[in-house]
Amino acid sequence: MPRPQPKTITFTIDGLEVRAPENSMLVDAAKHGDVEIPVFCYEPKLGNPVGACRMCLVEIEGIPKLQTGCSTPVKDGMVVHTQSERVKTAQNAVVEFLLINHPLDCPVCDKGGECPLQDITFGWGKGTSRFIEPKRHFVKPLELSPLIAIDRERCILCYRCVRFSQEIAEDYQLVLLERGAHSYVSTFDGHPYVAPFSGNIVELCPVGALTSRAYRFRARPWDIEDSGSVCTLCPAQCNVSFTVRDDRVMRVLARENDEVDDGWLCDKGRFAYQSIHVDERVTQPLVRDGGELRPVSWERALEEAAAGLRRARGKVAALAGGGSTSEEGLLLARLLREGLDSEHLDTLAGVDCRDLHRLAEPALQATASDLEFAHTVLVIETEPVRDIPILDLRIRKGVRRHGVQLAVATPRPSSLDASAKLALRYAPGAGATFLQALAAALYGGELEETARAAGADVEQLRALAELLRTGGATGSAPQEIVILYGDRILGHRGADDLLKLARGLNLHGHAGAGLLAVPAAGANGRGLLEAGFAPGYGPGLRAIAASGAHTGRNGAADGESATDGKDASALGVHGIGAALATGELSALYLLHADPLRSELPHETWSAALEKASTVIAHASFLTEGLREHANVVFPAESYAEKEGTVVHPDGRLQRLRPAIGRRGETRAEWSVIAELARRCEVDLDVLTGAMASQQLFDAVPFYAGLSLEEIGGRGVRWQERGAASAFPQPPASAPAEPSADGTASPEAVGSIWDTPEVEFSPSLKFLYKRERVEA
Amino acid sequence: MSELLLFADIDEPGLNTLEVYSRRGGYDSLRKALAMPPEAVLHELEASGLRGRGGAGFAMGKKVSFLPKGGMDKYLVCNADESEPGTFKDRELMQKSPHMLIEGIVIASYAAGASRSFIYIRGEYQLQADVLDAALSEARDAGYVGENILGSGHSLSLVVHRGAGAYICGEETGLLDSLEGKRGNPRLKPPFPANQGLYQGPTLINNVETLSTVPTIIRMGGEQYAKLGVETSTGTKLVSISGHVQRPGNYEIELGIPSREIIYGLAGGPPQGRAVKCWFPGGSSSPVLTGDELDVPYDFNSLAQAGTMLGSGAIIVVDDSTPIIDVALKVAKFYRHESCGKCTPCREGTNWTVKMLERIDAGEATPMDLDIMGSVQEHIMGNCLCVLGDAMAMPIASMITKFRAELEAHMDSRRLEAVGA
Amino acid sequence: MTAVKRYEHGSRVPGWDEAADLTKDPAEIPDPATTPVPEDLRAEIEAHMANYPDRRSATLPALAAAQRVHGWCSPQAIDEVACVMRLTPAYLASVATFYDMLETTPVGRHSVYVCTNISCSLCGADELYAAVRDAAGDDADFNVRAFECLGACDIAPMASVDGVYVGPLTLEDVPRLLDDARAGRPVLPEKQLARRRVADPHANSQEFPEHPAQEPQG
Ligand SMILES: Cc1cc2nc3c(=O)[nH]c(=O)nc-3n(C[C@H](O)[C@H](O)[C@H](O)COP(=O)(O)O)c2cc1C
Ligand code: SF4
Ligand code: FES
Repeated sequence: MPRPQPKTITFTIDGLEVRAPENSMLVDAAKHGDVEIPVFCYEPKLGNPVGACRMCLVEIEGIPKLQTGCSTPVKDGMVVHTQSERVKTAQNAVVEFLLINHPLDCPVCDKGGECPLQDITFGWGKGTSRFIEPKRHFVKPLELSPLIAIDRERCILCYRCVRFSQEIAEDYQLVLLERGAHSYVSTFDGHPYVAPFSGNIVELCPVGALTSRAYRFRARPWDIEDSGSVCTLCPAQCNVSFTVRDDRVMRVLARENDEVDDGWLCDKGRFAYQSIHVDERVTQPLVRDGGELRPVSWERALEEAAAGLRRARGKVAALAGGGSTSEEGLLLARLLREGLDSEHLDTLAGVDCRDLHRLAEPALQATASDLEFAHTVLVIETEPVRDIPILDLRIRKGVRRHGVQLAVATPRPSSLDASAKLALRYAPGAGATFLQALAAALYGGELEETARAAGADVEQLRALAELLRTGGATGSAPQEIVILYGDRILGHRGADDLLKLARGLNLHGHAGAGLLAVPAAGANGRGLLEAGFAPGYGPGLRAIAASGAHTGRNGAADGESATDGKDASALGVHGIGAALATGELSALYLLHADPLRSELPHETWSAALEKASTVIAHASFLTEGLREHANVVFPAESYAEKEGTVVHPDGRLQRLRPAIGRRGETRAEWSVIAELARRCEVDLDVLTGAMASQQLFDAVPFYAGLSLEEIGGRGVRWQERGAASAFPQPPASAPAEPSADGTASPEAVGSIWDTPEVEFSPSLKFLYKRERVEA
Repeated sequence: MSELLLFADIDEPGLNTLEVYSRRGGYDSLRKALAMPPEAVLHELEASGLRGRGGAGFAMGKKVSFLPKGGMDKYLVCNADESEPGTFKDRELMQKSPHMLIEGIVIASYAAGASRSFIYIRGEYQLQADVLDAALSEARDAGYVGENILGSGHSLSLVVHRGAGAYICGEETGLLDSLEGKRGNPRLKPPFPANQGLYQGPTLINNVETLSTVPTIIRMGGEQYAKLGVETSTGTKLVSISGHVQRPGNYEIELGIPSREIIYGLAGGPPQGRAVKCWFPGGSSSPVLTGDELDVPYDFNSLAQAGTMLGSGAIIVVDDSTPIIDVALKVAKFYRHESCGKCTPCREGTNWTVKMLERIDAGEATPMDLDIMGSVQEHIMGNCLCVLGDAMAMPIASMITKFRAELEAHMDSRRLEAVGA
Repeated sequence: MTAVKRYEHGSRVPGWDEAADLTKDPAEIPDPATTPVPEDLRAEIEAHMANYPDRRSATLPALAAAQRVHGWCSPQAIDEVACVMRLTPAYLASVATFYDMLETTPVGRHSVYVCTNISCSLCGADELYAAVRDAAGDDADFNVRAFECLGACDIAPMASVDGVYVGPLTLEDVPRLLDDARAGRPVLPEKQLARRRVADPHANSQEFPEHPAQEPQG
C-alpha cells in the first residue's frame, strides 16, 4: 500500500488564506494558519474521528448547520469561521454542558495545570454556569487496575480510552456501560483493566478521570521538567519524555515519533521508571570480600577489577546486554582487544554474527513504519507483544486501517492470530526448518518432508506461499512484503532461506518492503554489533583477521576487510561458556548481562561462572548470577541517567540524554571502562560522553560524518545517509560449517516483561508474577 | 377517503399468509418489476414522489439513486424499529400484511442493486417478528426471496433482525451500528449510508411503510401514484392517532387533508366536553400545535410551514384536562432515557432539562428558569451528532413558547402549595 | 421542601461507585476448554452468526438467547456468549447494558412492561403501573417495569406481558393479568392486540373489536 501523498490546497479561515494538505481535517488544517479549534474527542492516533464531544463546531460557508472541524476534510476554496457569534455560542454551550456534571475539583486534581478541560474552559467557555441542580457525587477515585485509578465524576465521556482499548490495543476490555447520561467507563464484572498497553489511556484522557496510580499526587505541572530520551528496555526503543521533579523521574510519557513508536508506550516503558528509585538498586561499587559483596571505594573496586583483568590477559571474555549503548560496546571491545588480547565478545543471544551481517544489508532493511503500509506482513519466530511490544500495535494498525494482510508463523499461539489472514504453527526450535519448508513451497524443493520435520502443516504452508506470491498488490506492481523475524531463527542455515525469500519476494532495494529483525540480543543488539562488540567483528562489521593482526587505534581492522576472514578463534557466547568451564578462559566481564538471568542453559553457566576466577559486572540489580559469582560490581546507570546512542532494529541511531543525575556513587559507565583500560595500559582517549560518541561515528565507516546534533531528537537511519555505501560486503554464503554459536536456543531471551526493571518497579510487580506464571 | 392502498385488504382474514396475499394480487408487482430493467423501476419510484415515512421525509427514489452503481456488495435495511412515541403504524403493516413489506423490499433491492437485506425490528414486537419470519419462509419457498428470484437473475437474502429495546436504533446510523452488533450509537455523517453504511458498504435504509408502498407504486405506476395527495406530499399516509381521542388507531389518509378531519372526523376528537389543548402532529419529537391550529393541512410542507413536522405521522392529542408540565416532563424524560450518550449537548442537555422541569413542577423555579430552559434547548438544537437531541429540544421549546403563561402559573401555585398557603 | 431529591433518578447510577477487583484476572476472551456452554445455546448462537457476513452482528440475538436460558445476562451468560462468539465479555456487557430489554441484574421470570410514555400516560398508565407494581408486590417471579412507548398507543393504557401486548387495561384487569401470567395461561385473551382489527372504518365493514383475527398468544 503506497503511503498517501496529499496535495496542498488553499482555504480561508477567519479571513486568512491558508495552505494545508487537502482532506486533512479542519482542526489540523487550521493549525497551518495558527488558528486553534478546541477538541476533546478528536485524536487522530485513535483512527477515524467520532464527532462526539461537539467542541470543535465551526461555521462553513454554504453549509447551514455548524460542522465538526474534527471530521470535516478541508477542500480547496472552503471558507471557515471559528470566531463568529454562532460558533462562540456553540462553544460556550458545549463547555457549559460538559461542566454541568463535572465536579470542578481542580485544586485537588492531578491533571490540574495540564488539563485540556481547564484550558478549553478558560479559552472557549463563558466562565459562568447556569446549572444549579445537584451534581453527581460518587466515591472516588476507584481502582481500575493496579496501575490506573478512575474518577468517574470527572469523566466527560470523550470515548478516547475505550477507543484505545477497542481500536488500538484491540483488547476490548475497557468499555462504556449503560447508556446516555448514565454511561460510564468500566470493565466486565469488576475485572481489572490489565493489558500490555493499558497505561496509554492515562495519557489520552483529556481530564483527570484516568490517572496513574504511580504518579498521583507526586508532582504538579509547575514543579516538573520534561526531558526527552529513548526507552532502552526493549528493542522497540520508543521515544519517551521523562517527567522530572527534584532530580527524580516521576513519570514517563510518550514522545511521539511516527517512525518509531507512533506515539504509544507499553506499560513496561511507562511504569518501569520506578525501578530507578528503588532501594534494591546498586548505587555503589561492590567487591566480594569473605564470600559477600560489600560496598567499597571506587579506587578499590577499580583496582580489584583491573588486577583481575590483567591477570587474565588473553583469557578474558565479555558479554553485553541489550541495555548497553553502542559507545559502551565500542569502548569495552577496545579494552579487550587492545588491552587484554582477547577477542571473545558477544551478547547473550548466541546468533552467528556472519548471519547477522548478511541480513543487515541496507538494501534489505524495512523500517518500523513499513509494517503499517506494506501489502503483506509476515511475522515469524517472534511474539511482538513479548519481544518488541510497540510493533504489535503497529501491525494491528496496518491490518485495521490499511488492509495489510498479515501472516503469523510461530511455535506458540500468537496474540496477533486474530488479526492474521494466516496463522501457522511449527515445533519450538524448528523456525529455521520452517523457513526451509516455506522456501520449498515457494521455489520448489522437498516440501512435505521438511514441513513434517518442522512440525508445520503443508497446506497452510502452501497458502502462505500463495499469499506471499500474489497477495495484495494491484496491477502489475510487485507487492511490498515486510518480514518481521526474531533473529534467533538464523541458526541452521535459517539465514540462507531467509535471504532466498528476500530475493525471490523482491525485498531487495524495494522501498516499503524488506526484513526487520527483532534482535535476540536485546534493545541495542544491532548497535552493539555495528560498534564491533562481536566475536571476530570490529566496528562497522568488518571482520578481524585471525589472531595477532591487531586492530588499529579505533578498533577498526586495518583497512582490508576480508569478507569471511574473521578470526575463527574468537568465541561467541556458547564458546565462552564452554571455555570458562574448562578454564581456557578465566575472566568474564558482564556489561548489563547476567547469563543466569537469561535463557542460556542454567547449569552450564552456573558451572562456568563458578570456575571463572574473575567476574566483573556493571549492573543495577544484583541478579542471581552476580549475587553469587561476581567479584566486582560497578553500579550501572539507569537509562534515564545515561548518555550515548543506541540503534533501532531498523538502523535508526537514537540518542539517549540524561534526564536526572546518576544515583548514589554511580559513575558514567564509559568512564569506568576507560579507567579500567588505563589501568590495563590502554588509553581509550575519551574524556566526555560526546567524545565517546564521536569515536563511534569515526570508527564505523557507514556512520561517517554523523554527529549527535544530526541524530537530534528523532534519530537518523544510517541507511538513508550517503555513508551507507561503506557497508561492507557481507559473506556471500553461509559460514562453512555452522559454528556452535549459530545455534540460538529457541528462546535466547525471555519476554521483556520478565526482567529486573519489571520485578523491581513496585507497581509492575504484579505483571512480573503473571508473566512468570505463564512462562 | 377516496381510496385505500396499504390498508385495502388489511383486515382480510389470513392476509399474513402467502395464499391469501397472492389471491389478492400479491407479488404481481414483483413480477412486473422484475420484467423491467432496474433503471425503469427506479424511475417509477422517483416519479411517484414518495417521501420517506420514517420521519425525515426524504424522497425515496432519490435515496435509491444515491447508491453507487457497480458490483460491490450493497445492502438494503428496512427500519422497523418504530419507537417514536405515538407511532404504531409499521406494527400493523408487519403483523397483518407482512408479504407486502417483503415484496416491497425485493423490488427496492432490485432497483438499488442490493443483494443482502435485513429487517431491523424492535425487540418488543415479538408477534410481528414471528409473523414476518413465517411469511419470509413462505416467500423463500415460493422463490420470491433467495437466489435468482423468479429467474430474473436478481438474488436477495433477507434476515429479520430483532433489536433489544433502544429508541436510538431507529436513527439510521445507530441502527447500522446496532445491526453490526455494537451499541446503537449514531455515526458521523458524512459518509452517508448510501455510500458507506452497513459493513462499510453502500446501504439503502427505508421505513416499513415506505417499503410497503413500493408494490402499490409499481402496480399503479409512479405518475399515477403521484396524483394522490398534494404536490410535495404525494400518496396516502398511515396516521397513528392516540392520546385523548375517542377512536385511537391507524388510519390511512390522503396527504393534504385538514388535520381536523383526522382528529375529529376519523378519531372522534377528545372525550365529550373536553377540548384539544395541544397535539403532536408527527410523534413526540414534533413541536406541538395548539387547539387553534387544527386546520393545518396534514402534509409535509404545510406542517413545516406551521413550525412543526409530519415526522412519523403519529398524532398525539392532549386535551385540556392535562397540565402542560406533565406532557413536557414525559417527553423530556423519554429523550433523556433514550439519549445514547455519545454527544455532549444531547446527553447533558436532556439530563439538565429534566432536572429543570422537575424543579418547575415542584414549584422551586422562577420564570428565569424558563428562559434558561429555552436557551438550553437552543443550545441543543443543531449542535448534536444526530437529531435525537433536537427531538427533545423542539417540542420542549414549543411548549415553553406556547404555554409559558400556564407554566408560570403552575410554578406559582406549586410554590404556594409548598409553603402551605 | 425539596421535592427533587439529591440523588434522585438520573444521578445515582449503579456501578459508578464500584472499583475493579484487583484480585481478578483481566477478562479476556474465554477459553473454550474452561467455559462450558449449553449445547442448545451454542447451536442457537452459531446459527445466528451464520446469518450475517460478520459474526459480530449476532450479538443481540445471541445475548437474547442467553438471557432466555439464564433469565438474565448474568456474568456467566455473557461469558458463554463471549466464548462462542470469540468476543471479550466486556464488549458484550457494553452492548447488553445499552439495551432496555437485556437485563443485567437478576429479574423475575415473568416480565410485565407497562408503557408509561405519553399516550398511555394520558390514558392513565401511571396509575396502572403503580397498580401492577403493588399487585405484584415482592413476588420474585415478576419483573414489572415502566417502559417507554411500546408502539401500541391505540390500546392505551397497555402492557406487554411476557412479550404479549394487552390493552386497553383498566385497574380491574390487573389481578387477572398477573394470575394468567403466573398460571401460564394466555394473558387476558380478549384484550390481546393480536386479535384487534384496524381502527380505520374504511378498512372495516364491521365494528371493532369483535372477531379475533388471530389465535390468542401465550
Ligand atoms: C432519534 C431518531 C429515531 C428514529 N426512529 C425511527 C424509527 O423508529 N423508524 C423509522 O423508520 N425511522 C426512524 N428514524 C428516521 C431514520 O433515521 C431514517 O430517516 C428513516 O429510517 C429513513 O427511512 P425513510 O426514508 O423511509 O423514512 C429515526 C430518526 C431519529 C433521528
Ligand atoms: S444526539 Fe443524542 S442520541 Fe444522537 S448521538 Fe448525540 S447523544 Fe446520541
Ligand atoms: S473534537 Fe470534534 S466532536 Fe469532539
